Amino acid sequence: MTATITPDTSTDDSTDRGGTAPSRRAGRRATVGGVASSTFLWLYAAISIAPLLLMLSNSLRTTQDMAKQPLGLPLPPNFTSYGKAWITASFDTYFFNSIFVTVASVLLSTAVSLLAAYAFARTRSKLFTTLEGVFLSGLMLPVYLAILPLFFMLDAAGMISNLWGLILVYGALGIPFSTFVLASFFRQLPIELDEAARLDGAGPFTTFWRVHLPLVRPAIATVIVFRFVPVWNDFFYPLILIRDQSSYTLPVGITRFFGEYQTDWATLFAGLTLATIPLVVLFLLATKQIVSGLTAGMSK
Amino acid sequence: MRRRILTTTALLAGSALLLSACAPSAASGDGAEEGDQVTLKVWSWRTEDVEAYNTIFDVFEEQHPNITVEFEAFQNTEYNQILTTGLAGSDGPDVPMVRAYGQLQPNIEAGQLEPIDGKVDGLDEIAPSVIAGAKGKADGKTYAVPLATQTLQMFYNKAIFDEHGLEVPNTWDEFIEVNEKLLAAGVTPMALGAKDDWILPIFADIIGSARYGGSEFEEKVLAGETDFTDPDYVASLELVTQVQKYLTPDVVGVSYTDSQIQFTSGQAAQFPGGSFEIATFRNQAPDLEFGSYQVPLPDGAVLDAPVSPAYADGNFAVNTKSTHQDEAFELLNWLATPEFGQLVADELNQFSAIPGVEYEDEVMKEAWANYEDGQAPYLLLVDFRYGEPLGTAVLGAEVQKMFLGQTDAAAAAASLQAGISQWFTPGE
Amino acid sequence: MSAITTPRVRRGTVRTGITLSRRAGMVFVLPALALFSIFIAYPLLTALSYSFFDWTGIVRGGFVGVENYVTLFTRLPYRDDLPNAFVHNLLLFVGAMVFQNTIGLGLATLLHRIGRFKRFFQTMYTLPYLVSPLVIGYLWSLMLSPLFGPVNAVLRGIGLGELAQPWLGNPQTAIWVVVVVTAWQWIGFPVLLYGAALGGIPQEIDEAASIDGASAWQRFRAITLPMLLPAIGTVSVLTFIGAMEAFPIPYALGGSQGNPAGATDVMSLLFYRTAFESGSSNAIGTSSAIATLLFLFIFGISMLITWFMRRTERKLF
Repeated sequence: MTATITPDTSTDDSTDRGGTAPSRRAGRRATVGGVASSTFLWLYAAISIAPLLLMLSNSLRTTQDMAKQPLGLPLPPNFTSYGKAWITASFDTYFFNSIFVTVASVLLSTAVSLLAAYAFARTRSKLFTTLEGVFLSGLMLPVYLAILPLFFMLDAAGMISNLWGLILVYGALGIPFSTFVLASFFRQLPIELDEAARLDGAGPFTTFWRVHLPLVRPAIATVIVFRFVPVWNDFFYPLILIRDQSSYTLPVGITRFFGEYQTDWATLFAGLTLATIPLVVLFLLATKQIVSGLTAGMSK
Repeated sequence: MRRRILTTTALLAGSALLLSACAPSAASGDGAEEGDQVTLKVWSWRTEDVEAYNTIFDVFEEQHPNITVEFEAFQNTEYNQILTTGLAGSDGPDVPMVRAYGQLQPNIEAGQLEPIDGKVDGLDEIAPSVIAGAKGKADGKTYAVPLATQTLQMFYNKAIFDEHGLEVPNTWDEFIEVNEKLLAAGVTPMALGAKDDWILPIFADIIGSARYGGSEFEEKVLAGETDFTDPDYVASLELVTQVQKYLTPDVVGVSYTDSQIQFTSGQAAQFPGGSFEIATFRNQAPDLEFGSYQVPLPDGAVLDAPVSPAYADGNFAVNTKSTHQDEAFELLNWLATPEFGQLVADELNQFSAIPGVEYEDEVMKEAWANYEDGQAPYLLLVDFRYGEPLGTAVLGAEVQKMFLGQTDAAAAAASLQAGISQWFTPGE
Repeated sequence: MSAITTPRVRRGTVRTGITLSRRAGMVFVLPALALFSIFIAYPLLTALSYSFFDWTGIVRGGFVGVENYVTLFTRLPYRDDLPNAFVHNLLLFVGAMVFQNTIGLGLATLLHRIGRFKRFFQTMYTLPYLVSPLVIGYLWSLMLSPLFGPVNAVLRGIGLGELAQPWLGNPQTAIWVVVVVTAWQWIGFPVLLYGAALGGIPQEIDEAASIDGASAWQRFRAITLPMLLPAIGTVSVLTFIGAMEAFPIPYALGGSQGNPAGATDVMSLLFYRTAFESGSSNAIGTSSAIATLLFLFIFGISMLITWFMRRTERKLF
């Protein structure tokens, strides 16, 4: 297959190419490649963002205008759709419910998964391998399958329309993915760290808390982001598990909104934009954390 | 790894046997205390009608001061799941709006709904084809009060017809001529959202019901004297292909909502659809002048007059688990009165299932008058949704294939027959 | 080529150490295990057991063995819909691997090298992922509308009018629209995950190779790619699971029937239709059988991918 390069082999590689001056060549290539790669990066950024900008732009136009002219600028911008969307859908209540449920459940699943993933990476017995496999299998659970039993269970516990019920469910649903990612990161940490910590007299928990946790920060950031988004956007569980309108989360609010404004594109786009903005803002604020977490990992 | 899979398999198999007492059993309500203030929960999938229903139930609450009605609406496409779990759990509705005909059967068979025969007055007044939508197939009992009748017909834009000097067609040739003229004038003659398969059996019936014979054909099919491969039925499907050129080009790419906007924005002159469109059109384009007509008889039609296919849509039932049975039946009785029927007409812009209702709206008046002149069942919905695959689902996909040129009328009819015969035995 | 194992590079993965006792390990696992057992394992196993019973609406009838499974392969509409939907799921997976993961890896690698605008690009690529898939699907179905959609309008505007077509109305293009839209939304996922993995690669090796004159592509192939294998494995497994369970985007683009004429049907839609739209009184039995089959397939293949990746890794180092 392929080789892991040590200084020796890469010297072989460069001598293979004979007479050419490697440094000059690499330099010119970097410029051409640099232009090509930044073109690619910008182009793809445009592809990524264009439909979302279109959503934003169309939310400022009228439906009749859109029907006559698919492409057009919102000139002059028309904000009436936002008023309509905001008043009809009680977005503020849904918004706070969503924040509460998402933050609490992501914290819950990340905390328990960190502990479990650490154990999986630092033990080697059949029991734990099996458990890890069982957790992993949860990742493959077609989510819609478990809804009826889950409903009966929460109903029996009197936890329907209860946001904590939803938090526990999401918390549990986060475990397979979070342990999966975190365990692979823990595994990459050298075992010498543990040995050193143990020589210093640290117990298992202290080692985990003081030594490992800081090192897997990028992984934690990744896990939090990748759990935050699906939980925030999920409409299926609250649809079934939440009855009380005052406990609705944003996505359920939106699905109702869909039904009402199917052909009123302008209002629909305004509603979709309103629902999307919080997550985008949150992400923009958090990218700083995520990226600094990532760079911290890189400089190691 | 193999061992792990084996272990899991063993676990799964074992648990299948162990977990045998997990589904809840249906429990009956324990009756309400009399004289107390009672709140009835009413569920519906009509999110767009919340305000109208609140107005309607205000009338009821005034007459029944001890009952408060709490109306809650859920998204139509998610309603089945919500209702399934809602009726099974403890926090469900007292009076749920339920689907009609075949889609109602699972709730009935699971014992989730109370039979209402003898407990609700005025059921005899309701048309048999409509009340059929509220009956249990197996036991023949009535389980709900029908809410509305939907009629299917061709809507047309009056301004466009005037502009091109067109009249409502009375013969098939005139119908074709109207479409040809519109086509020549650069106006899309008919807006149809064939990307959404559910609209297609509706379209097929609007165009072809009179051709295959409406309720006469229904009787024969139910009795087993013929089936869907009948030449008359195949010929009715051929009409669909025949008029395809008058639909939007690439019709299978057009969604239902696109087609609505095409009609309301004046880009298409006609819209084959149900009476449920009237309220939507009024909402979307308050200035739109439109009317409706029954598609004229094509050559070789079995019937001798054009018809509006129709079906019952939506029923109100009583949840077996409701702890306020008496009040729920009080409400149901009111829902079967002409007073409620009139409110359905005025507030919801729907055709009430209760006879003796007057319609103010011109378009509704016209569509209702047409329907009274010539009635037919929306065959696949009324009679062929009692098993899998659903008749409507099979024909929807088959008509899409016809539009795409992947199949023809005869083959589509054969598929329909093959699907339905899997669960349908004539004469039962 | 020669494979040279350097302990310095892959310390952790090679020897997964044992530093926790069984009891301490158990304490660490317990909270997760409790939550998992109650809210996933129990409901899941219960749901799987449903597939062996006959149902009347929501009331369970007698034990019927594998009858519900037999139904799936012998009766309409399942015997037609099941293979059709299943093939589409496989297409989704292949499409995601080809479009989403290779482009994602490319973007992540390029991003790893540049300094300026890095965070800006990361954010741009991740934005679609933040939007609810249902909203995404809905947005695209509006954009691709043959009547009012801007996509065809743009194509006509730049003189590519003959490419304009009813994207979602043509069975040949519809499934690819689902593939591409899914890839478009999820690209941020591999970009971030590979980004994190690239960050974990010691820079010294790359620098040393660079000084020795290895070109960017050589360094990528010989250093970066092998060291990314665990991450590629992770992404592949997650992509596979995502493709098999795809629901909101196909639902928003083609409706629950997988329009047109089943061209965008996938397993989850089939399950959804059976469970909630069929009106069959045995809906729970049949739909649970579908879900069980799907689960077993996903489980088996994921295990296979994981095993394959681990073996490749072991061969490499």
